[in-house]
Amino acid sequence: MEIAAGRPQLQLLVNIAVLGSIYALIACGYVLIYRVSRVLNLAHGELMMLGAYLLLATASLFSASAGLAIAAAILLSVTAGVLVYVLLMRRMTGEMVLAAILTTVALGILVRGVLVLIWSSQQQYPAQALRLANPIFAFGNAHISTWSLTLVLANAAVYLALFVFLRFGRWGMRMRAAGQNPLLAAQRGINLHGVYALAWAISTFTGSLAGMLIALDSGLTMSMPGIALKAFPAALVGGLDSLAGALLGALIVASAEVLLIYYVDPLLSDVVPFLVLIAMLVVRPWGLFGTREELDRV
Amino acid sequence: MTLLQVDQIEVVYKRVITAVQGVTLSVAEKQIVALLGINGAGKTTTLRAISGFLGIDDARVTQGAISFRGARLDNRPPHAIAARGVVLVPEREKVFPNLTVAENLIAPVARRNSRKQQDPAFHFFPRLAELRHRTSGLLSGGERQMLAIASALVCDPKLLLIDELSLGLAPVVVDDLVRRLAAIRSELGIAILLVEQSAAVALELADYAYVMENGRIVLDGDRDRLKSHQDVEEFYLGQARGERRSYRDVKQYRRSRRWYG
Amino acid sequence: MFRPPPRASGYFRTDYGEDLKLIRTRTEWSGMLALAAVLAATPFIASPFLLDLCCQVFLASIGALSLMLLTGYAGQISLGHAGLLAAGAFTTGILAREIHAPFWITLPASAATGIVLGLIFGLPSLRLRGLYLAISTLALHFVVIYLGGEYEAKRGFSTGVLIDPPSLLGWKLTGGRAWYFVLLAFAAAALLACINLLRSRSGRAFRAIRARETVAEALGIGIAQYKLLAFVISSGMTAVAGCLFAYYRGFVSIEAFDLFLSIQYVAMIIIGGKGSLLGALLGAAFVTVFPYGIEALLGFLPNARALAGDIFAVNYAAFGVVMILFLLLEPLGLVGIWRRVQNYFLLWPFKYRPLASARK
Repeated sequence: MEIAAGRPQLQLLVNIAVLGSIYALIACGYVLIYRVSRVLNLAHGELMMLGAYLLLATASLFSASAGLAIAAAILLSVTAGVLVYVLLMRRMTGEMVLAAILTTVALGILVRGVLVLIWSSQQQYPAQALRLANPIFAFGNAHISTWSLTLVLANAAVYLALFVFLRFGRWGMRMRAAGQNPLLAAQRGINLHGVYALAWAISTFTGSLAGMLIALDSGLTMSMPGIALKAFPAALVGGLDSLAGALLGALIVASAEVLLIYYVDPLLSDVVPFLVLIAMLVVRPWGLFGTREELDRV
Repeated sequence: MTLLQVDQIEVVYKRVITAVQGVTLSVAEKQIVALLGINGAGKTTTLRAISGFLGIDDARVTQGAISFRGARLDNRPPHAIAARGVVLVPEREKVFPNLTVAENLIAPVARRNSRKQQDPAFHFFPRLAELRHRTSGLLSGGERQMLAIASALVCDPKLLLIDELSLGLAPVVVDDLVRRLAAIRSELGIAILLVEQSAAVALELADYAYVMENGRIVLDGDRDRLKSHQDVEEFYLGQARGERRSYRDVKQYRRSRRWYG
Repeated sequence: MFRPPPRASGYFRTDYGEDLKLIRTRTEWSGMLALAAVLAATPFIASPFLLDLCCQVFLASIGALSLMLLTGYAGQISLGHAGLLAAGAFTTGILAREIHAPFWITLPASAATGIVLGLIFGLPSLRLRGLYLAISTLALHFVVIYLGGEYEAKRGFSTGVLIDPPSLLGWKLTGGRAWYFVLLAFAAAALLACINLLRSRSGRAFRAIRARETVAEALGIGIAQYKLLAFVISSGMTAVAGCLFAYYRGFVSIEAFDLFLSIQYVAMIIIGGKGSLLGALLGAAFVTVFPYGIEALLGFLPNARALAGDIFAVNYAAFGVVMILFLLLEPLGLVGIWRRVQNYFLLWPFKYRPLASARK
């Protein structure tokens, strides 16, 4: 959003809220999979992009009803996430964590290549395909577009749901248990593969949701995984196994980025999250709310 | 009626190291059986083979069979084995450290989903009710062992496998646990297979015991037989008949054991 | 190469001098000479395309060897390799452009840049392990890219910095054949340096740290200083590779150093096989030749004409598939395959496979 001359603070706040929500929604995907299976899913960005492209595909199928298209796209992306686990990541569960992470990196590369082959690397506009407008709300001297607002609200809803599920839900508790002590969890009847697949499903859901909303708001390009990579420091700053940390970390990183872009240099956009990350690694490597043993797990 | 039948199993690590060879044991319904032996005898490996944990260490049951109520258990995944009613209380990492006591008791998946599944836990271990909201990583050793056994009970087992019951616990605490386990056996009708380094504790609780050495079973018998067996007395209970032996006579020391192994 | 190859019958060294020799038997000598002959003859019989390919492989080898030192031996993960290459390349470019520095200044300067970056980003790594180190190096990558981009933007080199070919004592280094020999010399020097480093006390310390850090510490190996040493040496070497890269291409641009390049280097280690210098070389060759192989393959397939336009995407996808296949099926990499073949012939008619750890 362009900053009006005069007093930009309100618009800056809005931008921070939007960017923070984007990062938070993406970051919770990283946190979920890491917390449950100790794997860093570096293909999250590409899977996010897959979700957005699936929306493009369903948009042409269900051009009459936007809601149906979105629902179908979400369903397809969750299926994709589960398939990724069942067909690929399941085989890496016994191996070293590094190998699993590299597998996700390779998967990301594969997905990116396939997506370009199918859809070409042009910029796409799912909102146009669905004939959805994106009106801008103005208040004070700040504006926010509809889809950005939806993103902020969706992020809040997702986090609330996840908090409740993990803290109070039976399977949420089992997911936390599996993350802490997989062997014991297996012996207490918890099906580890099921739990991991569930984590991947939820993570892909939140990622695709983020991808779709971003695509609806500002178009779909091949650089979307870059945003996911920038959200990664947000997850880390908060502590890779804490959802609350991811939310806070996302806000911190987004604030730093928005403020530094405005007051210092626009080119800093890509590097600010990593500067925040470095600062965090030096001061408190396990993040704001992460558990300290995480450091030694690898 | 035989609950668990382990038949001549051989467990091999990394395809070359035989840890357990020709081990045969059985546990009948409502029986408490102890597996005795020093470090490295193969007791934990045997328990792991029964509870399905071998895969992680690149080990397999290469010969023989493990049957539970007629169904084969060897080389099956841990949650499947737990679903059949064989639940393990491991030696290390026996609770979920960052979950509270209450959450530790909700997390296990019971065989029959009933609301009252935590009741046996609090019935046998009332102390846990007081500690309900304590993070389990902060519990003392004895409390942790109680929680571990309790969370195993939540799964509604028919056979409880306990690895190293008394390791690291004070004698008073151990006595308490032994009493409770006896109560669990008589009230719930659960059979228990107990791996113990301390022969005194094991022989107090168990009806029947097997002694393992170097991956084989070298002696078995009921409590009275073992307690009165001269070698068990000497090598496991520390009571020498006659004069004290000098360990300088190593060869003689080895040869003097009356069993094969 | 410095580890004695397996032999069906025993080969015994009888004094320390013999133990330290790199090439011991006559078979090894003749093998080495044959290899040297082939390498020396290639520029005179190969096409310019093949020559360029070989040069690329040599360049990649230097980077792969330095990454293997860090990852395969000291056990520290680095995703910032492209950043270090960029650092070396940009140091060269900046110095050549701004003060017209000659080759014998830019090369050490690039190495110094690498070393300094290694120090800066290695120091936090002392408290971190595995995962967090990987992320710290990712941060390194982005910071360097940003700085490079800033330089290009501020100094108006939006399409990249042109560099004159290096000259030594008046003789300009141009032409495929000259570059071939120079790069071959550098790669061989890098290989020799790595071999000797690994045979030294530091090398043993690296391997101890990788195997079991707590035990290494208990044995009195200073974890922090050796990890830092590994990081610094590796970064210095990589920056030198970047400098050579800049001179070879004659042109430095920040777009050439994307994250995919870092991943390609990591893939070289994985595909080649961790913990083996030979693996680094095999991996470097494989990954460098791979895109050309895919292109050739597309030429053979009947209906691939449509895909030929999207050669980058096909490359990406194929690369992802190959990496996944190696990670799933052959975690020991090409070296693992090579050793299995060796074992088969050595142990025949026995089929008994030795323990994985016994081969290290």
